[in-house]
Amino acid sequence: MSSDSVPWALPLTRFQAEDREATSLFCELRKPLLRYLVCLGLSADEAQDVVQDAFLGLHRHLSSGRSQENMRSWLFRVAHNQARNRQKSYDRRFKAPLDAGAERALDEATPERVLLEKEKFERLANAIRELTDIERECLLLRASGLRYREIAEVLDTPTSTVADTVERAVRKLAEKCHV
Amino acid sequence: MCEFSGRLVAWLDGELQEPEATNVAWHLARCAECRETVQSFQAVSSAFLSCYEQALPRPVRRPRWIFVAGGTAAAAVLAALLLWPRPLEPLPIYSVRTPQVPAVAFLRPTSGRSRTVSRIKQIRNTWTSGPPVVEVELPADMLFPPGAVPEGFSFIADVRTEP
Repeated sequence: MSSDSVPWALPLTRFQAEDREATSLFCELRKPLLRYLVCLGLSADEAQDVVQDAFLGLHRHLSSGRSQENMRSWLFRVAHNQARNRQKSYDRRFKAPLDAGAERALDEATPERVLLEKEKFERLANAIRELTDIERECLLLRASGLRYREIAEVLDTPTSTVADTVERAVRKLAEKCHV
Repeated sequence: MCEFSGRLVAWLDGELQEPEATNVAWHLARCAECRETVQSFQAVSSAFLSCYEQALPRPVRRPRWIFVAGGTAAAAVLAALLLWPRPLEPLPIYSVRTPQVPAVAFLRPTSGRSRTVSRIKQIRNTWTSGPPVVEVELPADMLFPPGAVPEGFSFIADVRTEP
């Protein structure tokens, strides 16, 4: 499947006019959701399944006439909860995706720069692995472009806690990476 | 540690309300330590974002030359099929009727034997036997004006293969 194409199983054709928001949300959030789920430790296939289920859930949610507010955090919350249910191995969480991401980020740099950057990325990867669950999830959701209020909705925690957690997590990374 | 140090990331993320955001900005203008901290937060945040954005496996794409080569090969095969000279098909042999009459017959309804008929029979007798491959009957009416040929006359032509 082309990366931007709509999966065949998603019945977009049946969406009513009021559900057009769901279509635009799908185009906007499909990739960020996939990325978030892969970084939580799901395989690419599992992430695709979860995203598809989340959008089908969104369709049902909108069809039943429920609130259309904060759909972005609603989708992330559904995907987050499904990912937690599916996750079998805690150890693989965030390890492989970050390492692969670091490798890919260095693909086109000079060898000397690659060496320096690689070391930096390794320190960062180690530091991320030492974060707590909620710290890591807050940073991932923040990197996905969610506001603190939305992160709080996804993780079902107060906004002030999110602010403190993000502050603490960034400080930890900065200290361990010496940047 | 500064009193603002716990709100620097929130300030970076644009999450602080006024007047708190302005207060932090004023403080940063005066505090070198906090400026340095904010810079390190920015650096580590962008490094994290960079890894995060690269975390999705890229879709596997085939090199473009495969499509070019495939298209060229398909076009060549199509052109060969269209332009290749076709072998001539053998013409069908139609067996019209089984022969009920002598091979070359020019029979007159009269009982008299003319010289022509005897000559034709003589010729016919020199032929070796064998069924005609194709036999075509031509009605005399189609070849001559009405009345020119007595009724009942017809011409039968057949093609034989000689051994």
